[in-house]
Parts: sequence; structure tokens; C-alpha cells
Amino acid sequence: MQNQDNILKIENLEIGYPSKKDVNNILFKNINLSGNTGELIALVGKNGIGKSTLLRNIAGLQESIKGDILFFDKHKESYSRTEFARMVSFVSTEIVNINNLSVFDLVSLGRFPHTNWFGKLRSDDIIKSKRALEMVSMDSFARKNVNEISDGERQRVMVARTLAQDTQIIALDEPTAFLDLPNKYEIVHLLNKLSKQENKTIIFSTHDLNIAIQEADKIWLMLEDEIIEGAPEDLILNETFNKIFEKSNLSFDKLKGDFRMKRTHSEKIGLIGEGVYYNWTKKALERLNFLVKKSNESILNVNIEEKDDRHVWKLNESGNIHEFNSIYELSLYLKKIN
Amino acid sequence: MLKKHTSFIWILLTVVLLVLFVFDIVLGSVQIPLKEVLKIIFTGQSDHPEYLTIIYRFRIPKAITALFAGFALSVSGLQMQTVFRNPLAGPFVLGISAGASLGVALLVMGISTFTIVSQIGVIGNWTIVIAAWLGSGLILFLILAISARVKDIMTILILGIMFGSATAAIVNILQYFSNESMLKAFVVWTMGSLGGVSLTQLKVLIPSVAVGLFITFMLIKILNAMLVGENYAKSMGLNIRVSRFLIFFSTSLLAGSVTAFCGPIGFIGIAVPHIARIVFKTANHKILLPGTMMIGGIVLLLSDIISQLPGHETTLPINSITALVGIPIVIWIIIRNQKLSSL
Repeated sequence: MQNQDNILKIENLEIGYPSKKDVNNILFKNINLSGNTGELIALVGKNGIGKSTLLRNIAGLQESIKGDILFFDKHKESYSRTEFARMVSFVSTEIVNINNLSVFDLVSLGRFPHTNWFGKLRSDDIIKSKRALEMVSMDSFARKNVNEISDGERQRVMVARTLAQDTQIIALDEPTAFLDLPNKYEIVHLLNKLSKQENKTIIFSTHDLNIAIQEADKIWLMLEDEIIEGAPEDLILNETFNKIFEKSNLSFDKLKGDFRMKRTHSEKIGLIGEGVYYNWTKKALERLNFLVKKSNESILNVNIEEKDDRHVWKLNESGNIHEFNSIYELSLYLKKIN
Repeated sequence: MLKKHTSFIWILLTVVLLVLFVFDIVLGSVQIPLKEVLKIIFTGQSDHPEYLTIIYRFRIPKAITALFAGFALSVSGLQMQTVFRNPLAGPFVLGISAGASLGVALLVMGISTFTIVSQIGVIGNWTIVIAAWLGSGLILFLILAISARVKDIMTILILGIMFGSATAAIVNILQYFSNESMLKAFVVWTMGSLGGVSLTQLKVLIPSVAVGLFITFMLIKILNAMLVGENYAKSMGLNIRVSRFLIFFSTSLLAGSVTAFCGPIGFIGIAVPHIARIVFKTANHKILLPGTMMIGGIVLLLSDIISQLPGHETTLPINSITALVGIPIVIWIIIRNQKLSSL
């Protein structure tokens, strides 16, 4: 196996759009990052901060302004086009939607840097393309057309194409962008699995921080003027995540590993209950700007009780008891009296 | 099963192509019996010397021209649709026909404006060909110079259309100031003609088209990669600049040569690649490219047969026929597929 530490090293990189007239086109400076084998890396940051540009620099689609990107201790520029294409593959945000292009043909395009001038697929190329489809569980779709499959399936096929390209590093620009929630989780989980199983270094940009925290081995966090890397758990514990949306109303919940709106609580409310019912009722009350206390001593108190196999919410409004059958009914009443 | 199906299509296309080729030679304003035609083709002899002349001097060159023009225009259309990832692209999106017509317009009408010469006969067939070639070559040069600098492929498409409009504007001005007979000569050229190509000219046209087709067949792998867009193609190790150069060069050679000899023949280049996609149900150029070529030959031979109005003295302009044959095909495809928005 390759030396663990030297797959990808980014040193003092400066990215942006070079222009002859001015130097104002620099998007991001002083980027120092690294990537190892068997690692899934999530690139996180605000819109427009330069995530795509960084990925395009790594994937060799764009020149950097300053600094170095090293693959296996060698400069990016020292590789030939084909050598580079055998080392790094890329999935962009562009949706590939071509009539009459079969899934297998699309995946086997990944063999491009391995085939001869005519693009003839040798048996080895066919086996590798088929295996790539198996790895993303899309082998039964080989003969289908790419415009007949769902977005989630297409994203898997695009991943299979990079697997057929047989590269150590795979860079993906927002692979979860168009997907529904289950598909988002599945594709990132698949990337995680592939990074371990195939010992690849997979880098993807995303806005789905929850998923990134759960699946990624490392997070590259792009803040206003610095980029920080570390295990998601490290970044949670040292409160780095809070810096992402410093200027907005979001704050990071360390315990839950999730963002929530910063709220200004107006009134206290007591809540007694158990398990998930307690948690979700608390969430609803917080949405209504209450400061929730696990006690019975406020002016307003809610008790969640079980009654004939179902739950009821009893609101004690300074002695007057109201009973509600759902959180929604409770919240309607609370809105009215506020 | 799929393989069997495809080889059946190949055989069918070959048979249709051959039959139409023979029909194109048999049918014409002078009626020659099929027997005589076959005898002339296979033995080179006939009891009627005038038949020999008609077949050898006119009909065979014309059929061969139709065949090669069909090959060239449809293949260059396919290349442009793939490179620009646009179903409405055709061989002339780069402004090649506009460039050629500028060349011809400058020759035909420019000369008549600035000199006293007004006899069309003075301007030989070859002169028109060279003028058209120079015109499309100029546009090709501009496009290649731009494509080396411009990164975005869509910018090139728009610039190609701009060049086309600009040259068309100049042609309009020339038309406005030219006299009637010159204007007619030019308009006749724009209608296209397969019959005006002599045997000597075929010796130039055929090699030009053959070289263009050869380059295109060398580019099959590159064209397949271009299908998914230049970003992906680059990430798979494709040299975009060299690829674009080769594709634009071969397209210009194919479309430019045919336009120089036959005038701007429209619609084949846009319609035929779509027919090939429907017939073969693939986007892979290994099949699509030869398929498009074959169908292009078939469609232009068919158009030529129709344009001769078999049995009649007159022939219709080929450009109108290709449009009238092509438009229903495209409409049918749109209605059947409703997916022309992507390739």
C-alpha cells in the first residue's frame, strides 16, 4: 500500500480566477490540507466561498494561482494528462442527461485514460466497468439509458464511472445536491464504504453537515479566511463549527451535532414527560420561543400523560387545566394566549 | 439478440444505399432502360453512345457526389451536435456555409460591380469552388483561433453564429448593389446543385471528404468523451484544445468541401444524426458515426432522385428537397420522442 501520509498534500495554495488586470479574483488563500488513503473527506463551507474552485483545482480542471498541490509527493504539474487522469477522477454538479446513452457506456467511459486511441474496451476494461457498477449496486441497470433512471441512481452511476476510471483519489462536487434525504444518506454512506473497501481517498463538498459529521473521516472546513481540517468530532468539541455561520442566527448544538436557530426566549414553561414525547414537545415549545424547564414550577406547565394507549398533553395555566390530543393543538392554544 | 438486431439494420442500410445509388443513375430526364444502365455500369459499353455520355459524364458523377455529400454533411453535423451538446447544431453552425457564400458572393457579384464583365461564363466552375473554399477557410481560421483562447464551448457556438450573421450581412449588401444576372447566378448557387460537379472536380471532392471522414473516425473515442461535456472529458485525460482543433478541422473540411462544390445544402446535417439515433438507439459514436454516414448517403441520394422529378425535363433545387424531406423527419422525431432537448 502507498505511504499513508502522502497521497494528497496541499501547501499554501491560493485559488481563484487569474486575470491580467487585477488581483482581486483570489477566492481563498493559505490553504494547507492533506488527505490519506481510506479516507472520506467532506468539504464544508458557505455558498460561494470557493468549495467548487478548490475541488476543480484538485481535479486538475483549473490552474491554481499560487502554492502547491502534491500527489504522492510530486507536483500536480509533473504528471502527464493521462497519468493524472489515472490518479484523480471527478464528478461535477452538472447532470449528465443524454438520450440513448446506456448506463454501461457511461461507466465504461471512465476507462478513457486506460484504453487505446480508438477507445476499444478490452476484456479487462469490461470487467472493471462491470465491477464498478456492482460496487454501487447498479449492475442490473447496465442496459438502461441514463435518462431513464432517477437522480439518486444517476449519481451512483457517476460514482461508478469514477471507480471504472480506477483512481486513488475521487473528487465530487456536491454529490448530494439534487437528492432526497434517503438518497443523500445512501450516497454518502456508499462513499464511506468505498473509501474503506477500496482504500481510496474520496473528497466531496456538501451542505449537509449532519451527514458529513456522521460519515466523513475528516472535514475540511472553509471559514471566512481560514480553512481548518480535522475529524468531525474534533471540530465539534473545539467549537469550530460555530464559526461557519457566525454572522447568522444559527448556532451549533454540540450534543446533537446539528445546527439550530439562535432563539430569544421570552417566557418560561415547565414540561414533564418521557422519552421521545418529551424531546419533540420540547422542540415544538422552543419553536414557540418558550424556555423549557424540566419542572412543574412555572406559570405555564405541560404534562405529557398516557391515557388509554395514547398520549395527551395537559396544560396547567395557573390552575386551569386544558387537555390536548396533539402537539399541534397545544401549540395553537399557546399561540392564542401569548 | 441485440447484436443480431443491429447487424440486420446494417445489412438493410447497405442494401437501401446500393439500390438508391443505382436508381439515382437510372432515373433522370432522359429515360434509359434499366438493362442498358446495368450494361453500361458493368461492361462499359452500349449500342447507344449518347447513353454512355449521359451515364458517365453526368449521372455517375452526380450519384457519387450525392453519396459523398450525404456522408460529409451528416457526419459533420453529428460532430457539431456532440461537441456543442446541442441537438440543433449542424455542419454550418460554425459559419462555414456563410463563409463560403461570402466567397462566392464576392466573386460573382463583386466582379460584376467593379468591372464591366457581366458574362457568367467568364467565371468558371473552378473559380466558384476556390472562392467558396477560401471563404469557408477564412471562417475556419477565425474559429480555430478563437477556440484556442476561449474556454467555454458555448461562447464558440455563439461566435460562430455571429460570424455567420456578419457574413450574411455583407452578402446582402453585395446583392443589393449587383446586377440582375449576377444576382441570379448567386441565388442559383445558394440553392445547391449536385449535378454541377465534373469528373475532374470529383477527383478533388472525394479525397477531401475521405480525409475528413478518416479524421472523424480517428476521433470516435474523443467524441464519446465529449458527450458528457468538456469538464468530464478533461478530467478523464482528454486534451481539449487538440480535440477541438481536430473536430473543427475535419468538420470544416467535410462541410466546406461539399459547400464549395455543391453550394450550401441544408438540413441533412441536422436531421440525419437524429435519424441515426432513433434507428440505432445508442449515443456511442462507434455505431452512431458509421450509421449517420450511411443514412446521410441514403437521404441525399433519395433527395436527388426526387429533385430530378423522374420523367420530367426540369429538376428542382436540391436544397428545397432536402428541407422538404428533412423537416417532416425532424417534426416526426420531435413528436415521437419529445426529448430533442437533450442529445
